[in-house]
Amino acid sequence: MSITKILIANRGEIAIRIMKTARLMKIRAVAIKTSVEPNAMYLSFADEIYDNTDEVSEIPVFLDIEKLISIALSTGANAVHPGYGFLAESAYFAQKCLDNKIIYIGPSPDAIYKMGNKMIARRLALKNNIPMAMGSEGNISNEEEAVEIAEKIGYPVIIKAASGGGGRGMRIVRKSEEMERMFITASKEAEKAFNDPSVFIEKYIENPKHIEFQILGDTKGNVIHLGERECSIQRKHQKLLEEAPSSALDNNLRKKMGSMAVQIAKAVNYYSAGTVEFLLDSDRNFYFMEMNTRIQVEHPVTEIVTGIDLIEQQIRVANGEALKLKQEDVKLKGWAIECRINAEDVQAGFAPDPGKIESFSMPTDNYVRVDTGIQAGSSIVSVYDSMIAKLIVKGKDRKEAIKNCKQALDKVWIKGTKTTLPLFRLIVRNQKFQEGNFTTAFIEKDLDKYYFNSEYEEMLAAWLATKLFVEENLQENSINVDFKNSKEMSPWLMNKRMTQF
Amino acid sequence: MNDKLKINKLYALSSEKKKYSFAVPLKNKIRIGKRDYIVQLKSDEKLGTYILWKNRKYPVEIVRSRQNKYEILFNDISYTFTVETPFSLQRMKFINSAKGKPGQEIVRAPMPGKIIDVLVREGSSVLRGEPVVILEAMKMQNEIQATVNGKVIRVSAKANTNVMKDDVLVEIKVE
Repeated sequence: MSITKILIANRGEIAIRIMKTARLMKIRAVAIKTSVEPNAMYLSFADEIYDNTDEVSEIPVFLDIEKLISIALSTGANAVHPGYGFLAESAYFAQKCLDNKIIYIGPSPDAIYKMGNKMIARRLALKNNIPMAMGSEGNISNEEEAVEIAEKIGYPVIIKAASGGGGRGMRIVRKSEEMERMFITASKEAEKAFNDPSVFIEKYIENPKHIEFQILGDTKGNVIHLGERECSIQRKHQKLLEEAPSSALDNNLRKKMGSMAVQIAKAVNYYSAGTVEFLLDSDRNFYFMEMNTRIQVEHPVTEIVTGIDLIEQQIRVANGEALKLKQEDVKLKGWAIECRINAEDVQAGFAPDPGKIESFSMPTDNYVRVDTGIQAGSSIVSVYDSMIAKLIVKGKDRKEAIKNCKQALDKVWIKGTKTTLPLFRLIVRNQKFQEGNFTTAFIEKDLDKYYFNSEYEEMLAAWLATKLFVEENLQENSINVDFKNSKEMSPWLMNKRMTQF
Repeated sequence: MNDKLKINKLYALSSEKKKYSFAVPLKNKIRIGKRDYIVQLKSDEKLGTYILWKNRKYPVEIVRSRQNKYEILFNDISYTFTVETPFSLQRMKFINSAKGKPGQEIVRAPMPGKIIDVLVREGSSVLRGEPVVILEAMKMQNEIQATVNGKVIRVSAKANTNVMKDDVLVEIKVE
C-alpha cells in the first residue's frame, strides 16, 4: 500500500508545511476545519476539507484520537501526519492508526513509547554506553538515599519527577544540607502535579548548551544523522531561536555526537525523522537528554543547511522506501537561523498576547524562508500556541546569516498583537551571541532587558503621545496653537475614537 | 484655563521619568543635532498606521489613553507617557516633593495589569504589609500591600479592570 491521501492531524504553519510537500509528491491532503478558526490559512492549502465546525466537544479535534481515526476512514485518507504538538508523540494514537490500517507518518508506537518514558530512555542509553549525566538508577525512595546518591555523583544535582515535565517537580540542589528539604518539596510537588511522587536524581550540568541531532531512519534498519541544531537560546525550556549548524562543534565532535545519536535511535529500531537532544558543557562533554519522536518546529534550519526535505523523507519512509541517502552524502552547507515570532509580550514576562493580526507582511529576500499559518486578518487564538511565523534566514557562514537576520527582522511587519520581534532584534546585536559565546542561561543571565529599540524610537513615540495630546486638548481655545483651521479631526484620530468602544 | 494661552512647550514623561520636550505648535520636524528631520504620521490600508522617519516606516498603535496618559506601541515596544504642560509639570513637581497630603498614603499600581480582587473597602483598617489589591501582571498574581498602618479612605481600584503603571489603587489615612 502506498500513500495516496494524507489526513493532516494538525493546524497552522506545520499543516501548511506538510501539505506543500504532499502536493509536490502528488499526494492529496485533507485538512480539518474547526469552529475555533474556520477561516484559517492552512485550509486553503488542502485538496479536501473535513468540516468539523459543528463539533461541540470540549477537547480540540487534534487531540481526539477516535474522531481523527473516523475522519481518516470517512475521507479515505490512508495516512495520517501528526505534525508536532497535539498527538505527535502519542504511542496510543500511532497504534490506533496501524490498527485501522492507516499509515502513521512517524516512528513505530514502540519507539514513541520507549523514548517518551524517561526511565526507559535512560536505561536504553545506559545500556548503549551513551554518555549521560550520572544519576540514580531508578526512583529514590527517601531523603537518606537521596543524600547518599548525590554524594556519589557530586553536587550540584537535580531532582526530577519521574512522570514530570515542564519544570514542575524539579529542584536543583547545591549542597547536602539542602537535600532533605528539597527532596520532600520536589516529591510533594510531583505528587500534586502528576499524581506520582516518584523522583530521581541526576547530575546537574551548569550553563550547558542545548545541542540536538536530526535523525533519519527507514524501516530497513538504516539510520543516519543530518547534523546538529543549536537550540540554547531558550526561556523556561521554550526554544526561541535555533541555528544549524552550531558554532560549538567541530567535525570531530559532530561525528562523535552524531554517531551516538544514531546509536540510541537504533536501540529502538527508530524510523522516520527524530531528534536526539544533548547537553554540551563548557569542557565539550556531552550528555544524552532525551529523544523527540516527531518532526520538530525548528526542522527548517536543518533543511536549509542539508538541502533535504524532511517531510518528504518522512513520507517516503512511511511508504516503506529505503533511505537513498547515506551518511557520507550528508553535507552541511552554509548557516541557517530561525526566529520563532510569537504573539507574546516580551515586556510583560512573555505573556501570550492573542488577538487579530491587522496587517502582516514578511520579507521576500532570497535569503529568507518564512513558515507561517498567518495572514492579515488571521487571529492568534488563545486555545492554541502563540506562534505567528518562523523567520528562517540563511547565509554562507554564521556572520552573514546574523547580518541577514538583522536585516530581515527589520522588514517584518506585524500589527495587532505584540510579538517577540524586539527580543530577536536585541539578540542578533548581542556581542556574546555574535561570538557564539552563550548557553541555555543566555536569556535569563546575559540580557538585562528583552527588547531592542534604536536610538530615536522612544523619542518618536513621545512625539506621537504629544501629538495626540495636542489634538485632544489644545484644539479649541488656544491662540498659540494652530489647530483652529483644522476643524475636522484627522481621520486617524477619528478611527481610533470609534474603535475605542 | 489661562494655562493654554501661554503654552509654548509640552513635555512627554516616560515611565522611567525620561523627559522629552516639544515646542507647541507641534511641528512635523524633530531637531537632532543641527539638522531637522521630518516625522510623519501616516496610515494606509495595507500597513495600518505608521510613522515615517528617515525613510523608514515604524508600526504604531495607541494601546490606551486616559486624560494625559498615553500607552503607545511603537515598533512592537510599549511606552507609557504622561504629557504635561509647563504648568502641570511644575504642579506635579510640587506635589511629588510634598509626597501627597501629610498623614495620607497613596498605594499605586507598580506595573500595568489587571485588578483581580480588591481586598479592602472604604473604612477598612489595614496594617502595614497587608494585601489590599491583587493585581495580575505578567501572568502572575501580585499582592499589592498597604505601605502603612491606617484606615482606607478611598478605593479607586475596581476588580476586573485594567490599570496602568502608577495608577492610584487605594488611599490610606495613616493612623
